[in-house]
Amino acid sequence: MIECNHVYKQYKNGTNALYDLNISVEQGEFVYIIGPTGSGKSTLIKLLDGEETPTKGDVNVVGINVGKLRPRQVPLYRRNIGVVFQDFRLLRAKTVFENVAYALEVINMKKKPIQKRVGEVLELVGLQSKSASFPNQLSGGQQQRVAIARAIANRPKVLIADEPTGNLDPEKSDEIMDLLEKINARYGTTILMVTHDLTLVNKHRKRTIVLENGHIVADLAEGGYVRHDQ
Amino acid sequence: MISRPLKEGFRGVARHWGMSISAAIAVTITLVMISIFMIFSFNLENFTKDIESSLEISVLVDYDYDSQEQIDRIATELNDIDGVSEVTFSDKEQEFDFYLNSFEDETTRSAFEPFRDDNPMHNAFYLEAKSGSVIESVAEQAKTIEGVDTVSYGGQSTIDLVGAMSSVRKVGFVIVVAMTFLAVMLIQNAIKLTISSRKDEITIMRNVGATNRFIRSPFLIEGIITGILGSIIPIGLSIVGYTYLYRVTGGHMLSNMFNLLAPNPFIYRLAIALVVIGVVVGYIGSWISVTRYLRWKR
Repeated sequence: MIECNHVYKQYKNGTNALYDLNISVEQGEFVYIIGPTGSGKSTLIKLLDGEETPTKGDVNVVGINVGKLRPRQVPLYRRNIGVVFQDFRLLRAKTVFENVAYALEVINMKKKPIQKRVGEVLELVGLQSKSASFPNQLSGGQQQRVAIARAIANRPKVLIADEPTGNLDPEKSDEIMDLLEKINARYGTTILMVTHDLTLVNKHRKRTIVLENGHIVADLAEGGYVRHDQ
Repeated sequence: MISRPLKEGFRGVARHWGMSISAAIAVTITLVMISIFMIFSFNLENFTKDIESSLEISVLVDYDYDSQEQIDRIATELNDIDGVSEVTFSDKEQEFDFYLNSFEDETTRSAFEPFRDDNPMHNAFYLEAKSGSVIESVAEQAKTIEGVDTVSYGGQSTIDLVGAMSSVRKVGFVIVVAMTFLAVMLIQNAIKLTISSRKDEITIMRNVGATNRFIRSPFLIEGIITGILGSIIPIGLSIVGYTYLYRVTGGHMLSNMFNLLAPNPFIYRLAIALVVIGVVVGYIGSWISVTRYLRWKR
């Protein structure tokens, strides 16, 4: 599902972000990427969703070489993946329903199926009752659940989550984790989650890839992680 | 699928009401200025045309060139002069009647009546020039034709007036063009502000896989709506204001020489022009502003 082969990323200002990164994630896996600030986590996410291109090497997601896409092809590629961000990134001027529907409108789905599908995913994340609310009327946890509903609305094979619990308290974080696990189990969606919340990583154990200064320093299949200096 | 951008466009205007209004106000202010300058310069053009068309060159034929062939020859030669648009012939008799009729009272007329048999008037041609600027050269050329006795026109002061009017008109035109350009800049700036406040929105749309065209189209509709909203007040002001001005002045400025353009159809055409300018500028302004955010974004 996700293949990174000898991926290097150097930014124009000379900053080296990633060195010789090799990652392989199978369909249906749930993988954490952890590491301190500046370890290259965000860069990895940007390479995966097509916002940045690798300096060297190939990034393949759902069989598409993401780094080779032309800018105009990037939106089309993004329809194959769902992305969830730390800051939710909901459209403020649209209701919960419209936010989720937007992701389906862009793929030219008809009105009827859109209504049906939006209803389904809002039920999955437990927010049917909020469908007419605007994002600023919701709590952070609720907003993130809307964002997840939007990300999975068109049934992507891959879900990329960039610090999805970064702005939430532990209780809400647990709720989001349960939701992601549910999606992973029910639909077989491959999930790649970047986080620095070690409590979460140790509680919900999954394969964990550790990044430091742009290098992979550990890839623990059994999950759980304790920092070197502890 | 035209309905989606339309619906989204209207919704966008409604949900960003404050921003839409501020952009529409920028449109309004500039369109009011454009309207004033357009009214000014179109009327000025009309004045100039009126004066130019009233300018006549009279060519009097020598008494010795009385035969029909001579008259025909002179007529052809006059017609051949560059810049002449029309030549009218008026024979001695017509000239005499014309002269006689210039007196109001019957007694004076009857006093001149005996002279009809010994008519002192010349056969005459009246030339209309294509524009005020060629009058002088037409007159010069007419003078050189064999059998032409005297040539006269309104005189140097008339020509100076025409010249002055035409330079004022040119300045007016430059001002209108400059104003339109300024309007585009102002409006584009206002729209840029409304869109830059929605940069995040555009980024999010890209994130969920919307193509540039999909993102852009509602913004273009919003630009058009803004343009239309912004042109309402200028159109109302122009129609009411100009119609009032026309009624109060009776259609004349300063003297009967300066006729104002009749409000119908002039002011309605101007109204259409204002809407079109508003719409086009709104569309272009939105296009430039959205594209700026889309281009560098992968």
